[in-house]
Amino acid sequence: MTIAATDPTADARSAAMQRLALADRMFHRTTKAAAILVLVLLGGLLLSLVAGSWAALSTFGVSFLTTASWNPVTEKFGAVAPLYGTVITSAVALLLAVPVGIGIAVFLTEICPLRLRRPLGIAIELLAGIPSIIYGIWGLFVLAPFLQQDVQPRVIAAFKGVPVLERLFAGPPYGIGILTAALILAVMVLPFVASVTRDVFETVPPMLKESAYGIGCTTWEVVSRIVLPYTRVGVVGGVMLGLGRALGETMAVTFVIGNAHRISPSLFAPGTTISATIANEFTEAVGDLYTASLVALGLILFVLTFIVLAAARFMLMRLARRRGG
Amino acid sequence: MTGATARRARNTLMMTLCVGAAALGLGALALILGALLYEGLSGLTLAVFTEMTPPPGEDGGLLNAIAGSVAMTVIAMAIGTPVGILAGTYMAEYGRHARLTAVVRFINDILLSAPSIIVGLFVYEILVRRMGHFSGIAGAVALAMIVVPVVVRTTEDMLLLVPDVLREAGTAVGAPRWIVIRSVSYRAARAGIVTGVLLAVARISGETAPLLFTALNNQFWSTDLNAPLASLPVTIFQFALSPYEDWQRLAWTGALIITAAVLVLSIAARALTARRDDR
Amino acid sequence: MTTVAVRPADREPEPQAQSRDKLVVRDLSFFYGDNRALKDISVSLPERSVTAFIGPSGCGKSTLLRVFNRIYSLYPGQRAEGEVLLDGRNILDRSQDLNLLRARVGMVFQKPTPYPMSIFDNIAFGVRLYEKLGRADMADRVEGALRRAALWDEVKDKLQASGLSLSGGQQQRLCIARTVAVRPEIILLDEPASALDPISTAKIEELIDELQQDYTIAIVTHNMQQAARVSSRTAFMYLGELVECGDTQTIFTAPRERRTQDYITGRFG
Repeated sequence: MTIAATDPTADARSAAMQRLALADRMFHRTTKAAAILVLVLLGGLLLSLVAGSWAALSTFGVSFLTTASWNPVTEKFGAVAPLYGTVITSAVALLLAVPVGIGIAVFLTEICPLRLRRPLGIAIELLAGIPSIIYGIWGLFVLAPFLQQDVQPRVIAAFKGVPVLERLFAGPPYGIGILTAALILAVMVLPFVASVTRDVFETVPPMLKESAYGIGCTTWEVVSRIVLPYTRVGVVGGVMLGLGRALGETMAVTFVIGNAHRISPSLFAPGTTISATIANEFTEAVGDLYTASLVALGLILFVLTFIVLAAARFMLMRLARRRGG
Repeated sequence: MTGATARRARNTLMMTLCVGAAALGLGALALILGALLYEGLSGLTLAVFTEMTPPPGEDGGLLNAIAGSVAMTVIAMAIGTPVGILAGTYMAEYGRHARLTAVVRFINDILLSAPSIIVGLFVYEILVRRMGHFSGIAGAVALAMIVVPVVVRTTEDMLLLVPDVLREAGTAVGAPRWIVIRSVSYRAARAGIVTGVLLAVARISGETAPLLFTALNNQFWSTDLNAPLASLPVTIFQFALSPYEDWQRLAWTGALIITAAVLVLSIAARALTARRDDR
Repeated sequence: MTTVAVRPADREPEPQAQSRDKLVVRDLSFFYGDNRALKDISVSLPERSVTAFIGPSGCGKSTLLRVFNRIYSLYPGQRAEGEVLLDGRNILDRSQDLNLLRARVGMVFQKPTPYPMSIFDNIAFGVRLYEKLGRADMADRVEGALRRAALWDEVKDKLQASGLSLSGGQQQRLCIARTVAVRPEIILLDEPASALDPISTAKIEELIDELQQDYTIAIVTHNMQQAARVSSRTAFMYLGELVECGDTQTIFTAPRERRTQDYITGRFG
């Protein structure tokens, strides 16, 4: 059955097609607008941070990054103490979380009995889903007292007289402080590192591992000599994602860091992080300079996490490209 | 041979450590969930769901906080989900090879992992400052900004999984792009997209930082979105840090409620995708 | 290398009444980016007949088929130059409405691709685009299409079941049914039976034989015996060129070109 050009069906079809084409153009524009909105959000975020912190940036300039004082009365603000706290807690957290996370990934991919792999993997991921405020109150009411009563006194006594460690673990056993915050962060970052590392481990071609096992390598040798080097970039990417998370973590840290604007050599001492400072002081900040300084802290944090996350993304992209996907 | 023995010993050591690592991780999970249940269950009475947050020393519940959280979550999803799905649709369908898509994907991933307190600062600057007061709407907008990247990411990923042949089959019959997207792509990716939405809800259920200086908090029952609004996370924050025991108990109970909600949503989301894989 | 185009004068005289050409291709070249995949192809599809396109992998036969309904336009970087005349109008023209074209030129793919919908909706999907049919009329249309695809008896009791619940062969017949439901003029079949078992393949070939009474059919196949069974005209392609085109009987028994001869006898491919 052929349809001649003058057939009414053809004209009706044509009219319907026109309407559909118009709807198509509109939908195309709408989706594109939504995508552009995402860009606008980030741009707006950056802009508003810069605008909001302008008073502080113009008053203090670069010295903002080098001053340690934080005095609302004299209106002298500096980012050193929060910055130090942010970096130290994240660094210690990663120091603890990365080996454990990789260990978990090795466990899940090589040691764990097959039937348990899925449920245990899911259990680890559930850790990632627990909101940070839960970690916060757990840290405050469970971990901190435990550290204060059982752990810290023993550690302080144990390291008395030992040159470096004495200072590192000095001071009254508050229970809360830099180390406690780092421990909580470590538990929060752990599932990320474990998940990403496990996913990356699973991309290793089985034949590669089999050829190593085939010449008599032990599991650990396969992991350390074949799997880890092969997945190196991905693992580092995962670690950096974890770092990005740790740097910006607010609620868990605010509960247990002690909120003291000072730098102390001891890990048992209280301190503060950028996000904890903002969370604690923003609603009570009086005066434009105070508020602007807090926003400036936010800007520094944003730039810091941006760099870390961008680097992580870049590495994971390189990994994907190498794989050809 | 000592060489082989040494290698075997090292292997045993490392494997033991790895098992230990897993035990550590699972142990932490058990400790946290255990503490939640232990402390939170004892305070879980009906009153929690029927009474308002009390002043210290009196009995009460968390009703206004729960209601406020639910309200802000619903609004945040209403704003963020359409934006997220539409943007993800552009990236996977119309604009798949466009440069814009690569940029948006990168930016989106940054936003996805950005500290949520920064989002709070942003919304403070653009809404709270402008309006001159804190409000539930500002809180909802802050939460929406967290929803969008999650939904964008899962929508794009799920749509990209739909095979191109299926799209071609829809196009080959004369259907314009948007109908192919609606009737073929969306339908095929439906479970995955819903999963993304559920994950977004789970994510914002526990977010505190973005609400701290947008919705603030409210002791009393309020349905005014244009004024400070109570929320469960912020209430927990306030109560837990206080020196009052009954407030602290309510904080634990609130924490239990949030965790239960998040876990249920996560499991539901997982069940959805698992069922699809089995099919 | 010289290309051989079939000129009207070279063609064998048709035994039956002179049928006109539904689709005429003139000097068609196709590019994936800078890579020229089709080189100056000229060929015609006579109406209400089956034309088979054969050749080794990569010769461009699927690419050629995909020009006929301009499905390649979905992808940036792919373009066609030359003329493809459907009833005299060049479909490569910018002004050609693509959706309208695809309603007239249907396509069945290599892998069965039922939509994620019920069997009924699979068929109704294309029809609903531009025809407003009442419930009864739509049911009739669906039944008619399923009958034409020899699938009606097998699915009439489960029209609401998912299209994905059918077997491979049934899914492919479903795809044929939904193409037919839209009342096209040309049906393109891109290796329609290559993913199917022999029994399903036989059913599909029977279908093709019936469908050619009403539709112009172009089929791409890597199975020469299939081409010999179902088509009245065959075109042999090699490395992006149309080497020879003519009456199926002649191509397979007395081809003019050396390359055709070599392919038919299995010397390569």
